[in-house]
Amino acid sequence: MEILQGIINNYYYMAAIILFVIGMHTMLTHANMIKKVIAMNIMDASVFLLFVAVGYRYGGQAPIIVEGADGVYANPLPGALILTGIVVAVSVTAYALSLIVKIYRFYGTCDYDEICELRSDE
Amino acid sequence: MALSDHFPALIVALLLFSAFLTPPVYRWTPRFSAPLTTFCLSAAFLMAILLTAEVSRSGPLLYHMGGWPPPYGIELKVDPLRSYALLVILGVSLWIFVYALKDLSHELRIYVIGWYYTLFAILVASMAAIALTNDLFNLFVLMEICTIAACGIISIKEDRECLEASFKYLILSAMGTGCYLLGVAMLYMATGYLNFDLLNGALTEAFSLYPRNIFTAAALFIVAFGTKSALFPLHVWLPDAHASAPSPSSAMLSGLVIKVFAIALFLIFYQVFPREILNAVPLTEIVLWLAAAGVMFGSIYAMLQADLKMMLAYSSIGQIGFIFLGLGLDQELAITGGLYHVMVHAITKAMLFMSAGVIIYTTGVRKIKDLAGIGRALPITMLAFTVGSASMIGLPGTGGLISKWYLALGALEAGRPLFVLVILASSLLNAVYYMPIIISAFMHQGEFEYKVRPVPNMMKIPLIIGALAVIITGLLSRPVIVMLQEAVASML
Amino acid sequence: MDSARVMFLLMFIVFFPILMAPVIFYACRYSVRIRDSLAVVTSGITFLATLTLYPAVSGGEVYHYSLFEVLPNLAISMRIDILSFCLASLASLVWFLCAIYSVDYMAKEHACSRYYTVFIFTLGSCLGIFFAGDLFTLFVFFELMSLIAYLLVVHEETEEAMKAGYKYLVMTIIGGLALFFGIIIVFELGGTVSLAAGHIIGESSVLALLAFICFLIGFGMKAGMFPLHVWLPDAHPVAPSPASALLSGIMLKTGAYGLMRVIFHVFSPELIKGAGWDLILGILAVITIMLGSAVALTQEDIKRRLAYSSISQLGYVLLGLSILNSNAITGATFHIFSHAFMKSVLFLAAGSIIWKTGRRKIADLKGIGRQMPVTLGCFSLAAIAMIGIPPLNGFLSKWTLALGALDAGMPIYVLVLLISSLLNALYYLPIIIPGFFEAPPGEEQEEDDHHHEIKFDIQEATPKMLIPVIILALCTVFFGLTPNNIAYALSQLTSAFLLGGGTL
Repeated sequence: MEILQGIINNYYYMAAIILFVIGMHTMLTHANMIKKVIAMNIMDASVFLLFVAVGYRYGGQAPIIVEGADGVYANPLPGALILTGIVVAVSVTAYALSLIVKIYRFYGTCDYDEICELRSDE
Repeated sequence: MALSDHFPALIVALLLFSAFLTPPVYRWTPRFSAPLTTFCLSAAFLMAILLTAEVSRSGPLLYHMGGWPPPYGIELKVDPLRSYALLVILGVSLWIFVYALKDLSHELRIYVIGWYYTLFAILVASMAAIALTNDLFNLFVLMEICTIAACGIISIKEDRECLEASFKYLILSAMGTGCYLLGVAMLYMATGYLNFDLLNGALTEAFSLYPRNIFTAAALFIVAFGTKSALFPLHVWLPDAHASAPSPSSAMLSGLVIKVFAIALFLIFYQVFPREILNAVPLTEIVLWLAAAGVMFGSIYAMLQADLKMMLAYSSIGQIGFIFLGLGLDQELAITGGLYHVMVHAITKAMLFMSAGVIIYTTGVRKIKDLAGIGRALPITMLAFTVGSASMIGLPGTGGLISKWYLALGALEAGRPLFVLVILASSLLNAVYYMPIIISAFMHQGEFEYKVRPVPNMMKIPLIIGALAVIITGLLSRPVIVMLQEAVASML
Repeated sequence: MDSARVMFLLMFIVFFPILMAPVIFYACRYSVRIRDSLAVVTSGITFLATLTLYPAVSGGEVYHYSLFEVLPNLAISMRIDILSFCLASLASLVWFLCAIYSVDYMAKEHACSRYYTVFIFTLGSCLGIFFAGDLFTLFVFFELMSLIAYLLVVHEETEEAMKAGYKYLVMTIIGGLALFFGIIIVFELGGTVSLAAGHIIGESSVLALLAFICFLIGFGMKAGMFPLHVWLPDAHPVAPSPASALLSGIMLKTGAYGLMRVIFHVFSPELIKGAGWDLILGILAVITIMLGSAVALTQEDIKRRLAYSSISQLGYVLLGLSILNSNAITGATFHIFSHAFMKSVLFLAAGSIIWKTGRRKIADLKGIGRQMPVTLGCFSLAAIAMIGIPPLNGFLSKWTLALGALDAGMPIYVLVLLISSLLNALYYLPIIIPGFFEAPPGEEQEEDDHHHEIKFDIQEATPKMLIPVIILALCTVFFGLTPNNIAYALSQLTSAFLLGGGTL
């Protein structure tokens, strides 16, 4: 019961973990390369979500200090980190897609199973 | 502040600077780009030597990027262990780069060579920074840079095998990095720190509050770094990637890139996690068994290969197992042996890939069975190959023996002679697949069947240097071993 | 002798041949004669230099030098005591004579420059084994010698040689790994592997037993001990004859030498006896003796028969080591001398016969004595010594071993020695007797016509091949039952030295 309560209270963590598992599963099992890249993004996004959720506090404001305003702020550090993380994820995605384009030029498909068949036919 | 205070950051910055300067210089006049990169690599290596001297004189150095202290800023740290890693990374990459200058001209199209230098410099910069950084998130960014650059120097060849191999590598690496970042998030949730030292202090307390978070993080780290450094059974990407890449890239990937992640895992285990966490869960035990399996299976797979570079790639899986064996035994001497093996294997495997590269360059032969009689056509190359194989087998007088000596001693000290047998069995298997190549290369009756181009000096000299280095690591190992042992002892 | 001079001599003896090896390799570009004489001169100088060490060790002194540390507490070091001296002088003498023999023998062969380079290099590494000051150095030189000797084994480059060589190489690696394991255990238990440390392992334990077994595998493999002898009968016969003589005469002994060092320096005779490990060695030695002799009977090829005979003879040395008393150790050490002389004569004489006539099958050797009486005479002398007939040296070593066995209350070992001698007779006499007293094949018809008219058609090998054989054959007489038998005196000294725990 306690665990269930914990899960309900931290539903955003659960969402992140579920997304992570979906991403990982798709990435490892799908033959289509584009889907692999999409899955990679889902996986990254789930971690970003988790990170940002860690930094948020209930009722917190954006961490911009204004004269006279007081109260709780959301932790700015995860946000800053995740911005970097997104940049990294975008560059990896771009590189992966460019590889797919090149591979597509050779085989006329971006399905990994079909490529394996084509290669074994040779 | 004197200039030398900024060396940790300067090493990385200089290499990145050279990386971004090379393409325009290459477009302007191709002649200058190679000396430029060589100069930057040598300068970085020199700085690393000075840093090492500084560290051994006055203890660990901390460097705050931009003057921001942790927990806000990124911290770089130079301690004996990291300076050792730095020296190995920069020294070996400088050496490989000299070899690459000649080899690349026949493996790559001429207009991408400038870009290759860029990728090479970025790769070295990221590896050096991984060895230096003291911040988990910074490590994540560097790991991604390293992965992209590593995939880049494979896919730059732009043939089908390379593209496929680098895509496979990229996807599996991305999975590894995803796991790593999730682990970092777990630790951040539990403690609120990302800096190694601060985490280390906070984790003891956090461990009693959130044990599950921390266990999950540790497990995720093993998966993440296991994937990146091809720890069995997460090695599936390695053989294709390392075998299909241009030879200097193979040397770089097998020699350094996989080791860097092993060192990173080592740093996280011993500099971030407090001792009680390592004692509470059999983390090292898991690594130990995986490593032992890797040592055996890597060697067995290598025996079955028909392609020379494929064989060398599988052999790397076995050898990375040795490094993890040291970590897994969780014992001072064994870890020293594992860390020494980082250097030994970096030099040896890079040299073996270089000699494979020379063979491909001069004859175009890749299949092991076609190598019969090649020793008479390429005596120096095959002698270097012989020295390298001797080190892989662990014959006396080569570095391979020293690391095996320490690993075996550590295994005995830890009361686990079984793993000594694993080491010995793997040495025997190595002998069984390396020796027939050498024998048929030198003792084969009759002429070598293929046409042989002369070996350029630019390829011959690095090979000779490598062979000498293998022997030096086998005979004059004492200072390095003493330094490593002290560094490890202070961490345990 | 002052210690700096001994140090210099030791370094010189080990590294002079090793450094001369590349010189010899390059010399062949200019002249074949320079190369050959360089090889002879190098081995000769090494032999003389070794002899000059005699005054340094005759009183039981030990010199130990650390050159440099490879790892903490693990140095490359040199050491000399009476046992080292015995083996080193023996090895360099036989090497020198084989070098002289090689000059003409190898003139017909291919790839001579490789042969001489390897020949001289193995001399250096072999002496390195005998002068090693700790197990690690010993291991380094042991592996160096074993691996380089591969090139001697496969010298002919025939398919048979390559196969035998591969077997040899794999066994060498296995032996090397076993040694490695053994040395590591010693280092783990004792914290040092230096031979100067005396008895490194003081008490019996599972790990210590494991170490003992590892050493037994590593050194026993080299010494052709059952069941690790499988490489030996293939590898020794395929090598060129002078190399076979060295492989059988000297390099096998490095295994026995290693075991001696292990028994007396790593463990102690008391420990080995107390733990009952001497039985392991004893049983293996008996099997080795019997098996070697029995299988030698069935061999058709003369060099293969000699190789099997080596297995059984090394069994004697191992037997002596397992008995572990004063007479037995004297016998074992003296048998190392005896066997080195006898087996070198046998292999070199067989080599001369093969070189001259091309006949290898024992059945084809009938009447060979009429063609090459001196060679076969020397062969016979050595074979008779092998059988153990007084007053030759083989008798003396068996006699001493038998005394040792009786001292230890093991008459069964004496029986083993007797049976083995009988078997020796059974496989050597059928070479000698038809060699002298039967007509050569093809001449039998003629023989009937001329009744007992023995026709000598002397076609000896060249003097350079004959003289080493004669010298070695005389050694079997000279070191037999003669007054002033230096080798026997040295063996007695060695035995007293080893059993006395490193002092006389």
